[in-house]
Amino acid sequence: MRTPARALGWEFGRCYRGGFFAIAAYFAFVAAFRLAMRARGQTVELDDVQMALAITVPLTAAFIYLLAVFSFGLTGDLGARHSLFPPRLFTLPMTTSALAAWPMLYGCAAAVVLWAVERVLGPWPSDMHVPIVWPALLAASLLAWTQALTWMPYPLRGLRVAVTILWLATIDTIVILAMHFKAHESVMVVLLAPHVPLAYVVARYAIARGRRGDVPGRRDARGMSGRRVRGSRERKTVPFASAGGALAWFEWHRHGWTLPSLVAILLPFEVALLFVFRGTPELVIDTLFGILATPAFMAGFVAIAASRTNLQGFTGTRPISSAELAAATMKVAIWSTAATWVLVGAAMPLSLFASGTLPLMMARVRDVQHVLGTPRTVALACLVCAGLMIWTWKRLVQSLYLGFTGREWLSKAYALLTLSFLVLIGPLLWLAGDRRVVSAVWDLLPWILFGFVALKMTAAAVIVPKLFSSRVLSDRVLVTAAASWSAVVFGLYALFAWFVDTPYVPHYVLMLIAILAIPLARISAAPLALAANRHR
Amino acid sequence: MIDAVIDIAGLTRRFGDQAALDSVSLTIGRGGVYGLVGTNGAGKTTLIKHILGLLRAESGSVRVFGRDPVADPVAVLSRTGYLSEENDLPGWMRVDELMRYSRAFYPSWDDAYAEELRTAFALDSRARIRTLSKGQKARAGLLVALAYRPELLVLDEPSSGLDPVVRRDIVGAVIRTIAEEGRTVLFSSHLLDEVEQVADHVTMIDRGRIVLSAPLGEIRATHGAAGRVPSLDEIFIAQVRTKPR
Repeated sequence: MRTPARALGWEFGRCYRGGFFAIAAYFAFVAAFRLAMRARGQTVELDDVQMALAITVPLTAAFIYLLAVFSFGLTGDLGARHSLFPPRLFTLPMTTSALAAWPMLYGCAAAVVLWAVERVLGPWPSDMHVPIVWPALLAASLLAWTQALTWMPYPLRGLRVAVTILWLATIDTIVILAMHFKAHESVMVVLLAPHVPLAYVVARYAIARGRRGDVPGRRDARGMSGRRVRGSRERKTVPFASAGGALAWFEWHRHGWTLPSLVAILLPFEVALLFVFRGTPELVIDTLFGILATPAFMAGFVAIAASRTNLQGFTGTRPISSAELAAATMKVAIWSTAATWVLVGAAMPLSLFASGTLPLMMARVRDVQHVLGTPRTVALACLVCAGLMIWTWKRLVQSLYLGFTGREWLSKAYALLTLSFLVLIGPLLWLAGDRRVVSAVWDLLPWILFGFVALKMTAAAVIVPKLFSSRVLSDRVLVTAAASWSAVVFGLYALFAWFVDTPYVPHYVLMLIAILAIPLARISAAPLALAANRHR
Repeated sequence: MIDAVIDIAGLTRRFGDQAALDSVSLTIGRGGVYGLVGTNGAGKTTLIKHILGLLRAESGSVRVFGRDPVADPVAVLSRTGYLSEENDLPGWMRVDELMRYSRAFYPSWDDAYAEELRTAFALDSRARIRTLSKGQKARAGLLVALAYRPELLVLDEPSSGLDPVVRRDIVGAVIRTIAEEGRTVLFSSHLLDEVEQVADHVTMIDRGRIVLSAPLGEIRATHGAAGRVPSLDEIFIAQVRTKPR
C-alpha cells in the first residue's frame, strides 16, 4: 500500500469483509431471482409486504451496517463524550482534511454503490418508477452526517446518539415532505446536494477538535491553580455513610444521569409535535405513545454503556462483594428510571394543557371509563404507568448480565441480534393482518406463553443453584429475593384476574403473563456474570 | 514458621497455549519490602492479579492473610493497598471526590494522613483525574492505596510515569515508611536498580517460573566472586541466560 488513502480503504475492507460479503450475497440472490423471472418471461409483481421483505428491510439493514462501519461506530463507545474517530488515526502523518475526507469518501461511495446496485438488480415492480440520483444522494448525505456527528466530541455522555437521531430524522422529514408534494427529481437533487460538503466541513471540524483532545466540558479543569478552583477548595465534603452509598454515587456519576438527560433533550422535540398535530387526533395519540415509549427506547442504548465496568482494575479492587457491585448498578437504574419518569410525568400534562390537546385526551379517557367503569379505569392507568416504569427499568438492567461478563463481542452480538429482529417486523405485520393467522395464534397463545415460561424457569433453575453454590449471594438474600418475586407475581396475577373479567381469557394465561412480566432469570445472572468477570 | 501474608503454592495459569505462570510457589512474610522482578511478559502482573483475586487459580492455591482472595475478596482487599500498572482511576472524578469515594470502603482510612499525602504529592483537590499528568495520576493512585495504612501494599510497576527524581523520593520513602511500620510491600518492576535500592527480598520471575527468590543480601553474597559484588542486573541476566529460551 503506497498511500494512506489506500491503507484506510484496505482497513475497512479487511475488518468488515464478513458484512460486505453478506450484502454481496443478498445482491447475488436477488440478481438470480430476477434472471429466473426473466427466463420464464414473467414480470415482478410485489405487494407492499413482499416489497418490504424483498427490498426495504434488507436495504435498510445493509445501509445501517454501512453507517456503523464508516462512522467507526462498531469499534467505539457511542455514548462517550470524546470523538468516536479512532485516536490511533489522529497520530498518522495525514492532514485533518484528509482524515475526514477519505473515510467519508469511502462511506459515501459505498452508500451510492449500495443504492445503484439495488436499483439495477432489485426486484422492483415493473410498473414502479424508481428514481436513481436523489436516493443515492440521500444515502450519501445520511452517511456523511452520521460520520460528522458521531466524530464530534460532546459535553454530555449519550448526547451523540440524541443529536444524530434528531438530525437524521430532520433530513428524512424534509425528504418525505418533498415526496409528499411530489417534488421533481431536480428539486430533490438541489435539496440534497449541499449535504455531503456541509457534513464534510463539520466532520473536519470534529476531527480537528478530537485531534487536539478537545472535549467540551473540560474547561472546568483548566484552572487547576486558578481563582475559581482556589475559592472552591475550601468546600467541605460529606463522607459517605456506607460503601454501598459510595458505589451508588459512583454509578450515578458514571451513567445514571444519562437516561434522564437524553430524555430531557428529546422531550421538547416530541412535545412540539403535539402543537403541530393538534388538529389531527390520531397523530396526537401517536405522538403521546411516542413520548411514553421514549424512556424505554433510550434505556436500551444507555444499558449497553452502563454494563461496561472496569472489574479488572479500579472497581474490581475495592473491598466490596460482587453482589453489592451488581446491586449498586441496579439501584442506580431505579433512580435513573424514577428521574426520567418524573420528567415525562411533568412534561406530559403541561404540554397537553399548553397545546390545547387536553380535552381530546380527556374525551378518550371518558370513553374508556364508560366501557370499563371508574375503578378499572384507575387500575388500568396505574397498571400502564407502573408497566412503563418497570419496562424502562427492565431495559436498563436486563442486558447487564452480558455487559458484566466483560466480553465486548457478547454485547455486540446481542445488539446485532436485537437489530436483526427488526427484520421480523415486516412478516409480523403481514401476519397480524391475516385473520386466520391471528385466530391460530390466539388458539396457540397459552402454549406459546407456556413455552416462554418454561424457558424462563429453566434458565432460573440453572442460575439460582449456581448463585447458591458460588456464594455470590447469601442464603438470606436468595430466599428474600425468591419470596419477593413470588409475591409480586401473585399480586400482579390478582390484579389481572380482577381486571380481565371475561371467560375468553383463562386465569392460567393471566398467571403465565404475570410470570413473564416480572424479571427473574437475566437479572439473577447479572451478579454471577460480574463475579466471573471479576475473578477470571 | 514464618507469619505468611501471602502464601502461593503450585500456582499455574495458562492463557491459551501460553503458560503465564508455571507451578509458582512463593511465601511472603509479614514486614519487609519484596521486589518482584522480571522482563516484560514474565508473569509479574498475572501473579499480582492472583494475589488480588482478579484471576482465579487454575491449579494450585493462593492465600492472602490466610484467605482465598477469590472466595473472600472483601476480607483480603480491605487490608490490601494496590497501585495498578495501568492507571485506571476514573477520569471524571476530582481528587477530593476520589478521596471521599475511597474513604467509604476502608474503615481504617486516615483523613489526616490522606491530606498529608495530597499536600506532599502536590495534588490539587479540585483537579479532575483526567487532567492530571501521568506522574500526578500515579501519585493520586498511590494516595488512595496508602491512606488507610494497608497491611499489605501491592505496587505493580509503581515507577511507571514518574520522573527519576520523584520516583526515587516518593516510592523509596513510601516503601521504607511502610516497611518500618511492620507492613508488607510487594512491588513489581523491571527496573532492577530501583528494586536494589529498596527491597529486602527479591523474587525473579522468568517466563512464568520463579528462577530465584531470596533476601537481597544473600543473593549478593552467593553470586559474588573474587570480592566483587555483582549488581542485581548482572545476577538477573545470568539467571535468565542459564535457562533455555
